[in-house]
Amino acid sequence: MAAEPSTSSIFPRTDWAELDRAADADAARLDRLIRLYWQPLKIFLMATFPSLKNQADTLLQDFAEDKLLKEGWLRKADQNRGRFRDFLKTSLRNFVLDHLNRAEVKNPPVSLEELEQEPAQPDDLSEAFDLAWARTVLAETLRRMEADCKNPGEDQPRRGHIWEMFRLRLLEPVFNDTAPPAYDQLIDRFGLKSPTDASNTLLSAKRIFKAHLSKVIKEYAGQDAAAAIEIQALEDFLARLAKRS
Amino acid sequence: MPDFDSSAAVFKSRANKLATLLATGGERARLWRPDELAAIFRHQMSAPMLVDLGTFDPRNATRLRTLSEAQGLLLKSFSELFHHPAPPIELLELIKDFAKANMDHPESGLPDEIAATLYYTSIAAALVRLDESISRLPDADLQRGLRWTMEQAWLDEKSRELLAEALEKASGTRKGAVS
Repeated sequence: MAAEPSTSSIFPRTDWAELDRAADADAARLDRLIRLYWQPLKIFLMATFPSLKNQADTLLQDFAEDKLLKEGWLRKADQNRGRFRDFLKTSLRNFVLDHLNRAEVKNPPVSLEELEQEPAQPDDLSEAFDLAWARTVLAETLRRMEADCKNPGEDQPRRGHIWEMFRLRLLEPVFNDTAPPAYDQLIDRFGLKSPTDASNTLLSAKRIFKAHLSKVIKEYAGQDAAAAIEIQALEDFLARLAKRS
Repeated sequence: MPDFDSSAAVFKSRANKLATLLATGGERARLWRPDELAAIFRHQMSAPMLVDLGTFDPRNATRLRTLSEAQGLLLKSFSELFHHPAPPIELLELIKDFAKANMDHPESGLPDEIAATLYYTSIAAALVRLDESISRLPDADLQRGLRWTMEQAWLDEKSRELLAEALEKASGTRKGAVS
């Protein structure tokens, strides 16, 4: 089954084939699916019910056990009923509201007035969610890239240099506003033999970054084409936000 | 230097920095700044030829070594070859091909300006040192290329003189084999 079409949101597009398998399969696969959606759901929960942020993990755990791990629940996420992510979000929202209604009799966790004020503006909520998602994807990409470069195979003795060059030339200037080291300094530091050697090291870094980015996204988007669309959506979304800031 | 925590950096950064990371992390983004071209050119000229040319065409590595060491020529760097009174023409041709391949390759990391300078300087060295043409470029294009290379601010004086001499020759009647 094909992944659902692209949307403006960068929330993971549903891989329905994976979902079908997940619905039928073992606990390990379900666990992976839950962990995959855990962080976005937590962000969604906290943004939708700000007063429950201290209980977010517990509520999500309950949601996972009561809903996601319940046999047959995932089958309800029928493609014909809409996007899986919307289904998941609606389910979580209803689950939390049920939880609040049940708890209200004994010890109301929030006042009615507070609840009425709870929902954030849909656009803000969506952007906050998407930005958090983008951060998660990029952080995971860089974490994997660093681990990959710092644990090279015996046939890749210079792979450690790739991460260092990437960090010095790109990451630190972007995130810390530091000046990138001059070309001459790179020659000495990394023993670069020629400009081609230097360029290839930096190009390799970019390729490794891109490969890990694709892999991280493919794990939830499913197929190559969906992952490529997702990367573009990520770029467009961040560029749009950057223009406004 | 304290460890760089990429995850912390990402989570505390605003969208504009994340957008910059994606844009500059992309392969299409320029690798080097224009103000680094002088250092890159110096590095290129002092780099051992075997490093670049041997990688460019590994089958030629042995031939390159033989050529560069033949007849007592201790040609180790690009600069030494260009400024040798009698450089082996095969080496100049190989450099020209290496430079051309980099100019034509969309994924080449070598700045176009450096690749183009190598290209025209190899042609200039053949013209001036050997009185040979190793280029099929029309005269006008060759002269334009030589002139453009001479005008690069980061070029060293020796190379500029070589190019000026070649331009003078190219402005007259060219002779010699064309390959």
